[in-house]
Amino acid sequence: MRRLGTLVVLLVLSAAGAEAADVEAGRRKSAPCAACHGADGNATIPGTPSLAGQPTFFTHWQLIKFRDGRRRDAQMSPFAQSLSDEDMADLAAFYAAQPPKARGSAVDPAKVAAGRPLVDTHHCSSCHTPTLTGQQQVPLLAGQDLAYLRKLLGGFRTGTASDLDGTMTMAARPLSAEDVENLAHYLASLTPR
Amino acid sequence: MRRTLVIALTVLLLVVVTSWLIPAQAQQPAAPPPWKQGQPAELANSPLAPVPQPPAPKAPGEIPVAKIKVPAGFKVELWAHGINNARVMTWGSKGTLFVSSRVAGNVYAVLDKGGTREVKTIAKGLNLPNGVAFRDGTLYVAEIHRITKMVGIEDKLDSPPPMEVVYETLPKDAPHGWKYLAFGPDGKLYFNIGAPCNICLPPDTHANISRINADGTGFEYWAHGVRNSVGFDWHPVTKELYFTTHARDWLGEDVPSDRFDHAPKKGLHFGFPYCHQGDILDPEFGKGRACGEFAPPLIKTGPHVGGNGVMFYTGTMFPTEYKNRVFLTQRGAWNRTEKTGYRVMMVTLRMGDVPKYEVFAEGWLENNQPWGRPVYTQHMKDGSILIADDYAGAIYRVSYQR
Repeated sequence: MRRLGTLVVLLVLSAAGAEAADVEAGRRKSAPCAACHGADGNATIPGTPSLAGQPTFFTHWQLIKFRDGRRRDAQMSPFAQSLSDEDMADLAAFYAAQPPKARGSAVDPAKVAAGRPLVDTHHCSSCHTPTLTGQQQVPLLAGQDLAYLRKLLGGFRTGTASDLDGTMTMAARPLSAEDVENLAHYLASLTPR
Repeated sequence: MRRTLVIALTVLLLVVVTSWLIPAQAQQPAAPPPWKQGQPAELANSPLAPVPQPPAPKAPGEIPVAKIKVPAGFKVELWAHGINNARVMTWGSKGTLFVSSRVAGNVYAVLDKGGTREVKTIAKGLNLPNGVAFRDGTLYVAEIHRITKMVGIEDKLDSPPPMEVVYETLPKDAPHGWKYLAFGPDGKLYFNIGAPCNICLPPDTHANISRINADGTGFEYWAHGVRNSVGFDWHPVTKELYFTTHARDWLGEDVPSDRFDHAPKKGLHFGFPYCHQGDILDPEFGKGRACGEFAPPLIKTGPHVGGNGVMFYTGTMFPTEYKNRVFLTQRGAWNRTEKTGYRVMMVTLRMGDVPKYEVFAEGWLENNQPWGRPVYTQHMKDGSILIADDYAGAIYRVSYQR
């Protein structure tokens, strides 16, 4: 009887697994990612983004973009080729469930101060939320790695980074190179949540 | 002498004004994201925001087809699933259904395998490829910045031919830059170039419906003052163009209404950005204008309904009164507390009388939350119709049995 109960539970679990993202499966599948992004999604290598606490839609969409070639990176592009839709959903769910930590990038207080008002003038919180922790398809920025923020925001500014629907490319167009630097320092100085 | 003085003064004035304008422009605050643009200050903390597109299609078990309500005698079934962000559907000549997407960046081929459907991705990584149209063995695809074609695609679904550029002299703006694409009865390719904003005075190149020859030559504007039309069709008898338009946001919960329009001839202006829904002047751009200057809507389809697909029914399966009725697929919008749209409407055009406008299919909205978003329709050979749902990544089939 007990065995039958276990079987029923297993059947229910496997049926659910086919439909909903699975955090534990994501944890297992994230093993190859850990070398760069950290076992819990909090990376330490400068230039590599932390994934912990990123909204599921965001991570999932980025993986789709790497797989389809809309976003390119020497390390990520080949890795994403082998991922199924289910893998992406599981990985996104796993990283969303991990508590994010501030990267502790060495920031310049003068640039932090100069970057703070730019968040308002450039309407960052309209999509990234007032705490800059992201939502839905929009990423968490607070406490992200300085070098990565600088690279991505600079890429949007020059039109060489791909975004989902053009919103970031438009938002970054009026920024100067100095604005990018200051914004990156300010965002890197924040503590997520 | 006097004339020289006038010219000199004008030049001086221009120099002074320009010297004021240039630094002023440099200090202007950056534009908010397109969806927030035009939001009045008193609504700065409004919780309303666009509905995010899920990154993956829903599994069949997560798609509650039984909740879709249709008139008596009609039946809805899940015809295909697992098509991420499924949007416009167009038939090949050998029975392949080509399906576009928007943010997913893909074009699909769906093959009917008697009872089940096989989905192949034939192009990926594209720039919001909403428009697909098929003619003489060739599939045409409209992205934001270009229109391309895949010659002989139906024989090469597993190794698709290259996407050859048909036309690329197009604006690259992302807001309202995605296109609907269809062949008119004149054999020309029609598409929209939307306004690059929620509300603005668009450049002359934007806010229109345009057309080109299938070989990319002969570009011309067909309709002006069209904020963004991502759905149109031609009347089966009169061969005249009908289209839907999404109205601006942040003017109110109940205004302005979206529109269903009639453009029987080239060159009409439909009011954007000066006049909305045929009778409301824009608070900013309407100054000094009158709504009477512009073509009025044929139907005010309702505020924030998000009208996409337009399709005249030409099948024979549905009751005879359905012949030449128009199906308007309303994907629903976000800029309203109580959501509207998320349904398929139907329009009966009546000579010399106001059109009849009523619900055909609804039920995608539950407790003010969508579980699916119908976006376009297409005929099947037997006269049933398909409805694409870009939120669930699915296609439904609606049939009728008397």
